[in-house]
Amino acid sequence: MKTEGSRIESLRKDLSRLLGGGKVRTEPEDLLAYSSDATRYYAQGKPEAVVLVESVDDVCKVLSYANQCAVPVTPRGAGSGLSGGSTPIKGGIVLDMKRMNKILEISKGNMTARTESGVVLANFHRAVEKERLFYPPDPQSMDVCTLGGNVACRAGGPRGVKYGTTPNYVLGLEAVLPDGSVINTGGISVKQANGYNITQILTGSEGTLAVITKVNLRLLPLPPERQTMIVVCDSAQLAAEMVSRIIYEGVVPAVLEYLEVGAIWLMNTYSPIPVAQDGQVYLLIEVDGTAAIVAEDIGVIKGIAEKMGAREIKIIDDKKQAAGIWKARRNLSPLVLRIFQKSISEDVTVPRDKIPEMVKAVREIGASLGVPVGMSGHAGDGNIHPGVQLYEITPEMEQKAEEAIRLMIEKGIELGGTISGEHGIGLHKSAYLEKELGKDQIELMKRIKYAFDPKGIMNPGKIWTEA
Amino acid sequence: MIGDLDYYKGLVEKCSHCALCEAVCPVYLEDMLETHVARARVDIIYQTLYKKSMPVTPRVREIIDRCLLCTSCTQDCGGAVPVHEIIITARAALYGGRKHDPLRDYFIREMMEKRGIKGFPALMLAAAQKLHVAPGGFPKVSLRTFDSLYHGRYPPTGKKRAKVAYFTGCATNTMDVETGVAVMKVLGHNGIEVVIPDKLMCCGIRALGEGDIKTAQKIVRNNIAILAEQEVDAIIVDCTSCGMMLRSETAKLLPADDPLLAKAVALSPKVFEVSDYLNTIGLAVEPGPLAESFTYHVPCHRGWTPTLNDAPLQLLAGIPGLKYSAMEEPEKCCGAGGAFFMDYSGLSRGIRKRKLDDITGTGAAVLISQCPGCRSYLSAGLGKRWKTVHPVTLLRRAYGL
Repeated sequence: MKTEGSRIESLRKDLSRLLGGGKVRTEPEDLLAYSSDATRYYAQGKPEAVVLVESVDDVCKVLSYANQCAVPVTPRGAGSGLSGGSTPIKGGIVLDMKRMNKILEISKGNMTARTESGVVLANFHRAVEKERLFYPPDPQSMDVCTLGGNVACRAGGPRGVKYGTTPNYVLGLEAVLPDGSVINTGGISVKQANGYNITQILTGSEGTLAVITKVNLRLLPLPPERQTMIVVCDSAQLAAEMVSRIIYEGVVPAVLEYLEVGAIWLMNTYSPIPVAQDGQVYLLIEVDGTAAIVAEDIGVIKGIAEKMGAREIKIIDDKKQAAGIWKARRNLSPLVLRIFQKSISEDVTVPRDKIPEMVKAVREIGASLGVPVGMSGHAGDGNIHPGVQLYEITPEMEQKAEEAIRLMIEKGIELGGTISGEHGIGLHKSAYLEKELGKDQIELMKRIKYAFDPKGIMNPGKIWTEA
Repeated sequence: MIGDLDYYKGLVEKCSHCALCEAVCPVYLEDMLETHVARARVDIIYQTLYKKSMPVTPRVREIIDRCLLCTSCTQDCGGAVPVHEIIITARAALYGGRKHDPLRDYFIREMMEKRGIKGFPALMLAAAQKLHVAPGGFPKVSLRTFDSLYHGRYPPTGKKRAKVAYFTGCATNTMDVETGVAVMKVLGHNGIEVVIPDKLMCCGIRALGEGDIKTAQKIVRNNIAILAEQEVDAIIVDCTSCGMMLRSETAKLLPADDPLLAKAVALSPKVFEVSDYLNTIGLAVEPGPLAESFTYHVPCHRGWTPTLNDAPLQLLAGIPGLKYSAMEEPEKCCGAGGAFFMDYSGLSRGIRKRKLDDITGTGAAVLISQCPGCRSYLSAGLGKRWKTVHPVTLLRRAYGL
């Protein structure tokens, strides 16, 4: 058995020989920087080498080497994930994909794009929007997260309510299998019926099957107008019922966020939110489309809100102010730490007509255990991100938090929901997946994994717990 | 207080590890290595200086030094982690103000503290260059300094609307006298009486950046004592870094029991960048036409007041014929970082390259910015075809002063 130091040294030598020294990092400080994603409180793992790949060829070399030597490989985008998915808990190699950041093609004629997987989402948004095209998925980490990471985790965001999430836009992938061979799945055609849908098996595979190196994405025409509005409600129940009502009436806003007053207070410390902070729950809404559709939708939502007794309805006309509000929304998760010591955001998603019931249950769980709970999320698609926040980290509170999360997840499953709408399973939720999907399906997933990765080098320890 | 490790412990722990700083850190975006982004830097400082679970290696020093102190991450951080203050505090702990060789440190301190003595900065720099302790790429220092031209009180032309003290930064005083002259002429023309107080030192940002807290404190105590004596409506700067120092950093440098702390706090809201000030009180005289096109680089040290960003554009919008052509990313760093570009020339050139592409893509012929460091560094990269000036210089020309 080699010592840790000699393992790191021999990895450094071998990988440097394969790729050149500039792409390989093994100093302890660099290994620390790559030891977790945005959920460091949950778990950290120390990799033995960080490889900054710049081409498919680099990825092939690393994978075939790792496969031969049975070294674990954890692919990584921005490291902004919320599931522990890119935390290298088994050590080995972290594959930083962010230098593969070229947009290869934006086709107006086919309304598609082809990019390397390390492209940052917000950069991609800007590039396609210049061509008056639109790529809707908008995880809150869009300023840093990568398209490859989005595909691997089935990322979504506020616009999921109208436009769905990343998997709805993936047409094809280039991926490197653990043995170093390259496959091109799906294609760039907007409809395909070409055998097993390997594209969608890799989409959401969380780096456990192969390394995604290029992505083919479907695009939409850019909606010419958008409008932000805020509806203030006096109770959580009213807000939840209003969300269900808006959907029931057939209006589908681009974004329909449910934010508790505490979240609004925090967001206001980052960027001014022009509403009184005397409500309980705030619906932050964006509608988009042609000017006529936008006006009509705003009118319908306003009508519903007035009829149901909203405390305040505010239309945000100032575009700069609206941009500030949405940026504050994207920063909500770090903002929470201005007040709390620790915040755990869950990703339970329920059918949309079950939102009022879920909201009620989450509040009751918090009250009965005596832990602060909060919900701020994408109510329009049932993904309200119930979470637990701790003022103080003590073993007793940690235990209560864990219990609260277990109860929330079980309630979500009971209501016909899922344990993850857009973060992925990673480490955090792996203990609950069997409860949602059943033993047989987990076994099937393991067989699929074996078909791709017989030596088990790809991101080991994720999605399901090991027996 | 900046420099006090204990004070920052709680703030270091506020980092949520969300990684959103990857979007704004110019060094990270150039190096494309996560170790060089705020999230990792703060964590490495935590492990080495607080938890002491890792030794302070040369690599640790490199990670702490390889930061421009541009404050982009601090400005953007949802968790309100004051990253640049943490980096400065770590530098103070690692170097205690003795980062370079003693002779170079001596020259830097002397230049900052004695810049009020006429001709002194130019002589000191010449001496430093002779002794080979001045870094390469240092801009030319003029013997005809601003304070040899202007000192004391300058009543306005026309009706007096306000009285301000002009804190002239080192760069304006010794390298960019033209900007200082423009400030004087434009303020006077707009009915503003200007006082240039004696015996002011450098704003202290250079010492602060080096983690030389003692020198920085000495400097800000001197400056605050002088500025607090002035009976003026506002303290004006033409440099956004001096402004940041006076408005937001000075008070953080003084211990709670320092008698000057209250004065520093009281002075803070009176500090304005000159275009921001003019835009706030409005121009008394309408400017004449200028048939030119310009673009605007927003300096990184802009977070100390919310109106600073848009002020030059609003101010210059009143000049007939002057056309504004926006960059794609006006707020992206230029790579200079004070004297950072002298020590990390390759890195800084890489950061500047993106900026230069953005600037030249606008098709304008004049670049404005309120930071003399940015102007000097960008101007060197842009070449002779471009004019790079402070916004008030355009205003001066529009007035024909």
